[in-house]
Amino acid sequence: MLNDITIGQFFPGSSVIHRMDSRFKIVLEILIVVILFVAQNFWGLGIACAFILMIYAASGISFRLMLKSLKPVLPIIVFTAVLNLLFVKGTDAPLISFWVINIYKKGIITSAFMLLRIVFLIIAMSLLTYTTSPIVLTDAIESLMKPLKKIKFPVHELAMMMTIALRFIPTLIEETNKIMMAQKARGASMDTGGLIKRARAMVPILIPLFINAFKRANELATAMECRCYRGGDGRTKLRQLKATRLDFYGTGLTLCVLGIVIINNIVFA
Amino acid sequence: MNIIEIKNLEFEYKEYDDAGEVSSTNPVLKGLDLTVPEGQFLAVLGHNGCGKSTLAKHLNGILTATNGTVLVNGMDASDEDKLFDIRQTVGMVFQNPDNQLVATVVEEDVAFALENLGVPPAEIRKRVDVALRLVDMYDYREHSPHQLSGGQKQRVAIAGVLAMKPKCIVLDEPTAMLDPKGRAEVMDTIKLLNEQGVTRILITHYMDEACQADRVIVMDDGVIIMDDEPKKIFARVEELKAVSLDVPQVTELVYRLRKHGVDVPADIITEQECAEELLKLPHRGKAEIRVGTAGADRKSGDYATEVRNLTYKYSVGTPFEATAVDDVSVGIEKGQFVGVIGHTGSGKSTLIQHLNGLLRPTSGEVLVNGKNIWDKDSDIRSVRFMAGLVFQYSEYQLFEDTVYKDIAFGPKNMGLTKEETDKRVREAAAAMGLDEELLERSPFDLSGGQKRRAALAGVIAMRPEILILDEPAAGLDPKGRDTVLDEISEYHKSSGTTILLVSHSMEDIVKYAEKILVMNRGRLFCYEDTDTVFSRTRELEQIGLGIPQISRLSHLLKAGGMDIGDDIYTIDRAEERILEILKTNA
Repeated sequence: MLNDITIGQFFPGSSVIHRMDSRFKIVLEILIVVILFVAQNFWGLGIACAFILMIYAASGISFRLMLKSLKPVLPIIVFTAVLNLLFVKGTDAPLISFWVINIYKKGIITSAFMLLRIVFLIIAMSLLTYTTSPIVLTDAIESLMKPLKKIKFPVHELAMMMTIALRFIPTLIEETNKIMMAQKARGASMDTGGLIKRARAMVPILIPLFINAFKRANELATAMECRCYRGGDGRTKLRQLKATRLDFYGTGLTLCVLGIVIINNIVFA
Repeated sequence: MNIIEIKNLEFEYKEYDDAGEVSSTNPVLKGLDLTVPEGQFLAVLGHNGCGKSTLAKHLNGILTATNGTVLVNGMDASDEDKLFDIRQTVGMVFQNPDNQLVATVVEEDVAFALENLGVPPAEIRKRVDVALRLVDMYDYREHSPHQLSGGQKQRVAIAGVLAMKPKCIVLDEPTAMLDPKGRAEVMDTIKLLNEQGVTRILITHYMDEACQADRVIVMDDGVIIMDDEPKKIFARVEELKAVSLDVPQVTELVYRLRKHGVDVPADIITEQECAEELLKLPHRGKAEIRVGTAGADRKSGDYATEVRNLTYKYSVGTPFEATAVDDVSVGIEKGQFVGVIGHTGSGKSTLIQHLNGLLRPTSGEVLVNGKNIWDKDSDIRSVRFMAGLVFQYSEYQLFEDTVYKDIAFGPKNMGLTKEETDKRVREAAAAMGLDEELLERSPFDLSGGQKRRAALAGVIAMRPEILILDEPAAGLDPKGRDTVLDEISEYHKSSGTTILLVSHSMEDIVKYAEKILVMNRGRLFCYEDTDTVFSRTRELEQIGLGIPQISRLSHLLKAGGMDIGDDIYTIDRAEERILEILKTNA
């Protein structure tokens, strides 16, 4: 059961999107979110959505995965859409009206807008994690947050913690499985009984897991010291993030789309 | 030149009370002297708690001496200014392969030390590639550590140290948690470093590893008590036994033979030397083999557990689908002590997890006490009480605040009364050699061997009819190993419980098991009494299983014209047959 959890959901590949510098990808990701929210009419939103679909196609990731990434957030999407539908009031007469529910034309439009925005936001976000490995992403975040070091923000430490977390998640999952099996062999039952009983049944699993995790942390710290670890100062990196021409093309293209959407807003205001 | 020079090293662990004052001190190293010349391969032996690991941590400034000096390549190890020079000079590899790899990709982990030292990226690249090629892991450079086997992880850890270009590598029980294949890989890598002129200090509990070193030191109670080349050290059998250490099987054999007046040198550690020396003696050529080893067929009655056409597939319906156990049918007789062997991935672990219903077969049946455990009216929890399973490194399942409560966890789950639980807890603790006073202690305060036995007692307290043990002695020192296995054997004799002992160590298996079940590639290779299985040692070797050194000796002797039989797997039997075959004793 625990083996099914995949982390980061990275799909290696060599597409244009895969090859882009991860720092650019993060910045452009933010820019795309901006575009989605700047767009004020269906034309603008249509352009933004088409742009995202185009990137998606360029990444070579199957569209079926796109639908999969939407599944977990479906309730939120539906909830937001329904909320907008019910509570946005227009000035004209309601289209549908029964009991206390009034649905206006403006409500439908706002609702459709929100729906599209959220759906494409999630598609764009998942595209980032599909095409960038978690470690590269960590590197990029560390690099982008570097200026924060000036205000004593522990950028390197944060990145190191992320790396170690990524490294140990599979190990700890495996260990949880083992401990669960061992306690089951001693007659522990985890899948029956009420909420409190089930919570109590977790104790024999969590305590060994925690004790072990601390032991691991301790040993890892010693091993890191032995390999001359002394924080982020003066540290170099094997893998260098390098911007290429591709990244500047990508930036240019995204900025163009942003421009078009803004012009479109002004023209059809 | 000497890479390490230690003079009168003393170290004590201090415990602090709540006010920050030293409440107690625990001296670990008590005036230790040691010099290690550059390029030497030094093995360090000693039982747990003798101070080996503490010594290792002084060699690169992880710990600093309470008294005395440690010089590393001429630098004082307590000199804070030279700390990183020292850590670059002496690299460390630890026991648990998982707890020393930092990065999520192999090559980045190897680069970790160089990144810390601020080496330019192009240079890092070069040195990482060289290090990975040295340990033969270059093809895995883009893998994640969790995709690798234990042996591979340890090789990556070694590469991570080699990338620093150290003059010396300290390896603290690097093979303790590995299977035989992984151990061999790591030992090959360590020997390979000879060509690089790297000094190696190997802390180990395996005598066969120490035999490969240039020099062996034996530690006891914080000091070095023996220091010599391996042959000379192991010849001192009695002294080693006094500090609860082992000797290689052939060394033990010649020690015993010499006691009987046989003229062989005492300093023999390899089967080749031993065979050579024995073949020099006048002998009869073929030993008389008395057949009829008692016991094996004695228990041919009912089956305690039986599997019929058992097949188990992982991840059915995905591209990762794999068959772990393939059409296995076998019945284990009541009261039998069965050894289960097979290399990693042979399906032995999967097989035993079926016997108490932790895994559900893809097809086939599992019977405990003649009853199909997956029948509709069968209660799987009661099956688990009948077939007790103890996992590898079972101390990781301890969780209560006292040993007593932990052992009582199983009986409580069975719904037993307080009195009955109490009775069983004390009985199980006694069976595993745990003193009454330990019962009220926290399980986390116990020694490694005691923790292991407490975990075993937790399963024994359920009084299972079948006790299944997965590597119950893994990672313990020789004394801890013998204690655990002896207690299990005693328990078997006194309670008549059917026992399945899974182990990679053929030496342990043959010492206790009456019958042996061999798994190979998901299939049952054979299930026979120990003599029969060991008459097929060559086949066992072919399927990649290590056989006891003493069996290898018998093969060499036979090839040299001295046939002591094909069923040699214990020192006792080898001793008996050799004494008989030698003409001087006729």
